[in-house]
Amino acid sequence: MHPYLQHKLLATRRQLLGSMAGGIGAIAAAELLGGRALGATGGGPADSADPMAARLPPLPAKAKRMIVIHLTGSPPNLDMYDHKPALVAHDGQECPAEFLAGKTFAFTSGTPKLLGTRRSWAKCGQSGIELSDAIPNLQRVADKLCFIKSMHTDQFNHAPAELMVYTGSPRAGRPSLGAWVTYGLGTENADLPGFVALISSGTQPNAGTSSFGSGFLPSVYQGVQCRSKGDPVLYVSDPPGMDRAMRRRSLDALRDLNELQARELGNPETLTRIAQYELAYRMQTSVPDVMDISKEPAHVLEAYGAEPGGSSLANNILLARRLVEQGVRFVHLFDWGWDFHGTNPKEDIRDGLTTKAATFDKPAAALIEDLAERGLLDDTLVLCTGEFGRTPFREGRTAKGQVLGRDHYPDCFTVWMAGGGVKAGHVHGSTDELGFNVASDPVHVHDLQATLLHLLGFEHTKLTWRFQGRDFRLTDVHGKVVKEILV
Amino acid sequence: MVYGIPRGRSSTVIIAALVVMAIVAVPLAAAGDSPSFTRDIKPLLSNRCAQCHGPDAETREGGDDEGLRLDTLEGSRADLGGRAAIVPGKLDESALIARITSTDPDTVMPPPDSGTPLTPAEVDLLSRWITAGAEYEPHWAYVPPQRPAVPVVKHAAWPKNEIDRFILARLEVEGLSPQPEADRCTLARRLALDLTGLPPTPEEVDAFVADEAPDAVERFIDRLLEHDGYGEHVARQWLDLARYADSAGYAEDRPRTIWGWRDWVIKACDSNMPFDEFTIRQVAGDLLPDATLDDRIATAFHRNTLNNSEGGTIDEEFRVAAVIDRVNTTMSTWMGTTIACAQCHDHKYDPLSQKEFFGIYAILNQTADADSPNESPFVALFTPEQEARRELLAAELAEIAKNVPAARDKALEPPEFRPLRELQASLQKQLDAIRPRTTVPVMEELPDPQRRVTKLQYRGNWNDLGPEVSPGMPVALSNATPLADGRPDRLALAKWLVDPANPLTARVVVNRIWERFFGIGIVSTSEEFGAQGELPSHPELLDWLACELVDRGWDTKAIIRLIVSSAAYRQTSKCPPEVIARDQENGLVSCGPRVRLSAEVIRDQALAASGLLSRKKGGPSVNPPQPDLGLTAAFGGGLDWTTSKGEDRYRRAIYTTWRRSNPYPSMATFDAPNREVCTVRRPRTNTPLQALVTLNDPVYVEAAQALARRMIREGGSNAADRAIRGFRLVLARSPTGPEIDRLIKLFDDAAAEYHSDAAAAKQMATEPLGNPPADLGADTADLAAWTVVANVLLNLDETFMCP
Repeated sequence: MHPYLQHKLLATRRQLLGSMAGGIGAIAAAELLGGRALGATGGGPADSADPMAARLPPLPAKAKRMIVIHLTGSPPNLDMYDHKPALVAHDGQECPAEFLAGKTFAFTSGTPKLLGTRRSWAKCGQSGIELSDAIPNLQRVADKLCFIKSMHTDQFNHAPAELMVYTGSPRAGRPSLGAWVTYGLGTENADLPGFVALISSGTQPNAGTSSFGSGFLPSVYQGVQCRSKGDPVLYVSDPPGMDRAMRRRSLDALRDLNELQARELGNPETLTRIAQYELAYRMQTSVPDVMDISKEPAHVLEAYGAEPGGSSLANNILLARRLVEQGVRFVHLFDWGWDFHGTNPKEDIRDGLTTKAATFDKPAAALIEDLAERGLLDDTLVLCTGEFGRTPFREGRTAKGQVLGRDHYPDCFTVWMAGGGVKAGHVHGSTDELGFNVASDPVHVHDLQATLLHLLGFEHTKLTWRFQGRDFRLTDVHGKVVKEILV
Repeated sequence: MVYGIPRGRSSTVIIAALVVMAIVAVPLAAAGDSPSFTRDIKPLLSNRCAQCHGPDAETREGGDDEGLRLDTLEGSRADLGGRAAIVPGKLDESALIARITSTDPDTVMPPPDSGTPLTPAEVDLLSRWITAGAEYEPHWAYVPPQRPAVPVVKHAAWPKNEIDRFILARLEVEGLSPQPEADRCTLARRLALDLTGLPPTPEEVDAFVADEAPDAVERFIDRLLEHDGYGEHVARQWLDLARYADSAGYAEDRPRTIWGWRDWVIKACDSNMPFDEFTIRQVAGDLLPDATLDDRIATAFHRNTLNNSEGGTIDEEFRVAAVIDRVNTTMSTWMGTTIACAQCHDHKYDPLSQKEFFGIYAILNQTADADSPNESPFVALFTPEQEARRELLAAELAEIAKNVPAARDKALEPPEFRPLRELQASLQKQLDAIRPRTTVPVMEELPDPQRRVTKLQYRGNWNDLGPEVSPGMPVALSNATPLADGRPDRLALAKWLVDPANPLTARVVVNRIWERFFGIGIVSTSEEFGAQGELPSHPELLDWLACELVDRGWDTKAIIRLIVSSAAYRQTSKCPPEVIARDQENGLVSCGPRVRLSAEVIRDQALAASGLLSRKKGGPSVNPPQPDLGLTAAFGGGLDWTTSKGEDRYRRAIYTTWRRSNPYPSMATFDAPNREVCTVRRPRTNTPLQALVTLNDPVYVEAAQALARRMIREGGSNAADRAIRGFRLVLARSPTGPEIDRLIKLFDDAAAEYHSDAAAAKQMATEPLGNPPADLGADTADLAAWTVVANVLLNLDETFMCP
């Protein structure tokens, strides 16, 4: 975006009075501006006074909205998505030195032992995609999913790796994926936040609120954290002793007083504030309404395994559908507890994984089917990922115990997507027979980001924000669209 | 949700406005004029050419092996095999002209796939510049400021000081007149909020309004500059720059104890420490001869970097990340220069090489901290009583040591020493038992044998090292040369930053001060003074202020006094539409500033107006009420906190616990940053989520309840007087007749409801503040209704704006 327009977007001091509208027509003015390097082709609210107004992306888009399911800690892809019979055959053997040379691991040193999966696998549906018995419901919808088995990243610690996936940089300070998308597209329902973050299993994302933050973008683009306990959005409830009629009465007085002031000073920003208070008033009804899953019929609650009044990934996945259905642009789910080191039975790739995966598998599959039934899957992009992969060998600290777990591994992992312009029942890329390296079609995290933006209608090099004299973007100076997975 | 950062009525309005504004602010050279290099040519070369023909040798293209450089005169004239990009005065011999006017997509520059082509007007500018001799000028910000002559103005009666003559001279060129001085109530509120972050009391306003002395405003300003809330207010901006927080960041985001440094900054602001001293102590206080404990505490400025204690991390990786952050923060804070690009490659727009980045890095790479979980090294702070006791114990122990054998083999020691030994052990135990009041992590230079060798990091990768780099500073930014003597260390760096020959620091500092009072800097990109930044709106004024700062011994309070005493600052912000149309952002200062208050001031104002605010200064950070999230930080402790007891519930915002992974939500909603990195400029947004905070956050509900009680107690017995009292406590001015009527109507309507619903009335009036004192003498329904009125007063648009 052109820094001048950006500056306009941020300026709040005063705006032109309505009386200025006469004189120059919109088209003529736009032409005039065209000569002044208006960054409109890159997207962003260059042509709008309202930074959250819904807008079309510069390129044809298959996806209009997006849901991300982040499995915080990173799931064991070798026990869910990427079957390695050779690893099973060599289970318990010392890891060949050539696979370890020059690599550093978070909790493993010396020579670890290879760890074959203990899961059973099935070739699923028409596509024959092979998935483990940890995720029986996703097996059912495999034909609707698109897997990338050749993902890789640069980071092997949780927080930097998570920042890498969602902000394109391992260090703090950059805007998140959801913030970029909301900046680019605005939102379709003014009465709800455009970008919502939902957190389950009791713990924040690895990078805290930065994983759904706005970085140097204006804070209107940061994810609004919605909660299942207390106010769904902070301070959305009127204080005790104030009913809706009293709130209306007080807002009427507030508006009248602000209008008196606007007449006195003639400052249009006062009018903006009046509008914000009216929006807030409407949000006070619309947010609790959309967040109330008890309004869903019993069969839907059952399909997702959601329970009104509780807090779970299943509830949040159902909420994600309710939110996108209502016009929310971007919903980012974070579920804690996928860091399968094997330091306790919950992190065991056998029963521990069965238990944990059940909380995710059923609602995730239900989401895909539900979106498809409602005709929303075609233009809703769903992404499910962790921040990196997990080692094909047993984690060093736990090697002598009974629990089987894996260390962090940045060199290969699997993500899946659905809907929104990606091929259904498709697998892209592969790893070598032991799962140590990408064997074909490597996809870096920046490539994934470029692809997501492409699906949403953006050329990733052009969705930019001028900050400290430089045009920043999600993909930093990298990124290549993975054309092979596009419909 | 529809948000308005700014909103006009339609995009048409905004676009039309942009065109008008662009013409006002950046008048391009009219046809026939000789183009200005800085204004007309440099932005073109920088934005359209520098990516491939700029300072970065790695990506430079064209020409011979070295590539074609268009950012320097030499480069533009270089022999390209019988041709040159630019031949002064000769358009037909200049290859640049041939390429930018080519119709062949394979040869035209910039290449069609690189973005926007040059417009005919831009080609014309370049042509006329070459015809006129294609002179280059150094980037304005790298030329040390010279004190400019103060302009002569026509309207000689208006200026109150030199600032006004610079402002007025430009307004007169633009055909604009300044606005009259704001009324005293407005000035009182503007000055008090700008200088202390607190609203004036109605009594202070009355005294100021009644003061007929010619220097009434100046004396009012002087009182505010000495107000004990001054430091707590102005320090806030420095804490943003220093990325000060009470947690260490990353996943675990453990609590960090570093508030002793925050208190040092507040004290330094209150005592108006000269900025050069303020700088030297924070960058290198530990290296000063006879460094005091305070000097060492000051160095915690650079211990505010993140620390990653997540399991399985390599400490060196995150130590390096911290040092890189110190390089970036130093350059942003003092020199308005973004150097981060040069971590991975030579800067594409400014004369900063990757080697120079690591030259600064080498200077900052010699401290003992190493991303260790305990954050050592740190200093311990004791109370004066503790300090006295420690000295006493230490003296006694020293005395005993003289009287016992040095040998420590007690088995062989004669038994007569036993009582002394017992005393020694007991005293030592007492000494160890004195726990410090707090600790502060500090910068501490490594001893010689442990000093690190700095190597260039390829592509910014800490693990992929190149040749050794010597410590040093970027030569193109400043010809100040204190690094010449001996080994360049942090002290040399600190002195280099505030050397009067450094062209950037003083300009950057006065520009940030200006921005604080006018909402927009003289350089609007206050974080970027390099080639990609905006040009100053008033270059002479900027240089005059910069020279003034240095000549007055880096006295920042003196600069602030000059600014707020000026007629420019004192103008009314009520402004005719035609003036707004000419100067939308008020970059010309065609009227007084009207700027939304910061997150901190919005909180402090509500608490102060309601009488709840505690004026306790300093000490550990405190926890105002915030709703429980029921979440923990990744690998860390709970994010919920226990609300502080007693007056700590009502402390100024600057003392609120700043947790990076989960910043205090009510302030984050009003654009407070999470302080993971240096923030030079906060955005100011206007969103419905902000409305929810000030309407419903129990902190603001409680303030409304307390304000209601104050209105009843201090306002007298009739409704109008109570409404007026509340209004003045918040806004300083008296309400107009229609405003009083509207407030009374709200009170009457609300009271009628609450009289029929005692339970609701009780809740509205007392949750969370508690029962009113027995002597207040108002019934609960009236108290509830006044709380509703107070809640409206705390949410008026005018309340959020510095008037």
